[in-house]
Amino acid sequence: MEVEIRNRPAFANLLVNLQPGDRIIAEADAMASMSSTVDMTTRMNGGLFRALARRFLGSESMFVNQFTTNSSGHIVLTQPFPGDIVCVELRGNTLFLQPGAFLACEPGISLGLGFAGLRSWLSGEGLFRLKMSGTGRIWFGAYGAIFTREITDEYIVDTGHLVAYEPTVSIRVGLAGGIFSSFFSGEGLITRVRGPGKIYMQSRSFDGLAAWTNSHLW
Amino acid sequence: MLDPNQQFRGGVFHSSIPDGRIGADIRITPSEIIAEPSAEALTVMDPSQVARMPRWVIPLSECQVDLGGASGRMVFCRNKERDLTIFCEERGFAAMLGDRSGGMLSEQLHVVKKRQAGENHRFRFWLTVGVVATLLFGVIGYYSVLAAARLAIAAVPISMDEKIGSMAMQTIEKEQKLAADHPATKFVTEIVDRLKPHAAIPEMNFKVIVIESSEVNAFALPGGQMVVYTGLLKKAESGEQVAGVLAHEMSHATLRHGLQRVSQSLGIVAAIQFLIGDAGGLLALGSQAAQTSILTSYSRQSETEADLEGARMLHEAGLDPESISAFFDKLKKEDGDIPGVLVWVSSHPLHEQRIESIAKFKSTLAKKEYTPLDLDLATVKESLK
Repeated sequence: MEVEIRNRPAFANLLVNLQPGDRIIAEADAMASMSSTVDMTTRMNGGLFRALARRFLGSESMFVNQFTTNSSGHIVLTQPFPGDIVCVELRGNTLFLQPGAFLACEPGISLGLGFAGLRSWLSGEGLFRLKMSGTGRIWFGAYGAIFTREITDEYIVDTGHLVAYEPTVSIRVGLAGGIFSSFFSGEGLITRVRGPGKIYMQSRSFDGLAAWTNSHLW
Repeated sequence: MLDPNQQFRGGVFHSSIPDGRIGADIRITPSEIIAEPSAEALTVMDPSQVARMPRWVIPLSECQVDLGGASGRMVFCRNKERDLTIFCEERGFAAMLGDRSGGMLSEQLHVVKKRQAGENHRFRFWLTVGVVATLLFGVIGYYSVLAAARLAIAAVPISMDEKIGSMAMQTIEKEQKLAADHPATKFVTEIVDRLKPHAAIPEMNFKVIVIESSEVNAFALPGGQMVVYTGLLKKAESGEQVAGVLAHEMSHATLRHGLQRVSQSLGIVAAIQFLIGDAGGLLALGSQAAQTSILTSYSRQSETEADLEGARMLHEAGLDPESISAFFDKLKKEDGDIPGVLVWVSSHPLHEQRIESIAKFKSTLAKKEYTPLDLDLATVKESLK
């Protein structure tokens, strides 16, 4: 299965070329266009309760779509917000995604939902996180560009900018500075991530967009 | 007992690995930690790379352990040079490490755990401080809004009450309204006329209509427009009891409780807007339920105020203040078990307390001969049949 990430980074989308025997699983509503030779089947995302949990706790849809073909064809998958998409290949290891980031994966990947804790919630990454594990490629998106960093010790990320991280990375919430500078610098809370491991960050945050939009409403 | 051949699933960080990390199977021998690439990790690897994959070994004697990871329970083992990290999150791994190292690594882990506990403790402390501060801020804000609303209302002219009242009046079903010359309408109008001169706001323009309905209810809208349902007249035993209800309702209007409710609701919406940033949906929801129900459902404090002000009006008008208690006492005793029928009573809580506070208030008033109303309720009831 050949997958190309096109139009990076602002309006990235996936062009997936399917051959007989290939399968790709995508978030519901991710399909923008596809060949008439491609078949789509919808299934609940891992049982009713897991699907419900993913829907309400993980900001993902209850259903995922599976695309196959008997001859050959292609599909285009997109995410709802502008931004980049990256591909990560899992080899039996795990990756945590922020809620809403998942776009597509190969069938060898299992999608789970894990409690991320109050710290993660306070740092704007959600009370729950998507846990991707297994063998195969996954594609996830972000708002804005995606940049990665291999951290060995401690690193600071502003809240809402962390998209994905490996399970070896720990997260703590902290104030950006003292009480005063935290409130008046506009930085407020920050996320302290501690390695070793790789983190994926987005160059824009949804909170930032919401605040900017709000300031123009009145 | 620990199984000495137990394998753990984990991983390795090392610069020699393409991509820097690989999933691994880990064993702990009495002297070393040994990690080998897991089968899963090898299947997707180039055969030429697989052949070059070594196994990674950290002697227990020079192992440095740490805890961390997303779960906080991942154990990291590093060599002396700290360029090789073997990590594992599985249960039993830490115990096995401790066991095989003769307790040395358990001690290291214990120190790390203590540090972690300290961090958790601090986090919880600051979280509590944050939550308490937010709540405090919210409560202070809420009461400031209420106080500000009271002050603001005093500055608003009565004509505003009338406008709001008229708007609300338009939404009330008036198809069953009785004519102005109907005995029931005349009856309540006469009572209102008798009470009117003693209202706290003499210039308030009281108007009352009677609507045919089995509902036992009466209410006053801001500005002094009142509605009495025939169900209430049928239930009443005397003109005084009706006068008690009307005095109470008129007091809501003169004390401007409706306007207070509106401004409080707006203040609360504004507060929610401030806290969560979007009250659009809430507003839409509110405007549905708002109108009459907001204008005529009052807080407990407002009810008590209206009781006492109503009692004062009755007293001044030469009527027994305890007429207010008399009516809902009767209703409560007779039909207290039937839900829904007693709208007027059910929206007025704390029955005994109210009766008591009215009696207490009456005792503070100057003794006075009360003259009964010269009105014929029996004829009114007859006309409603």
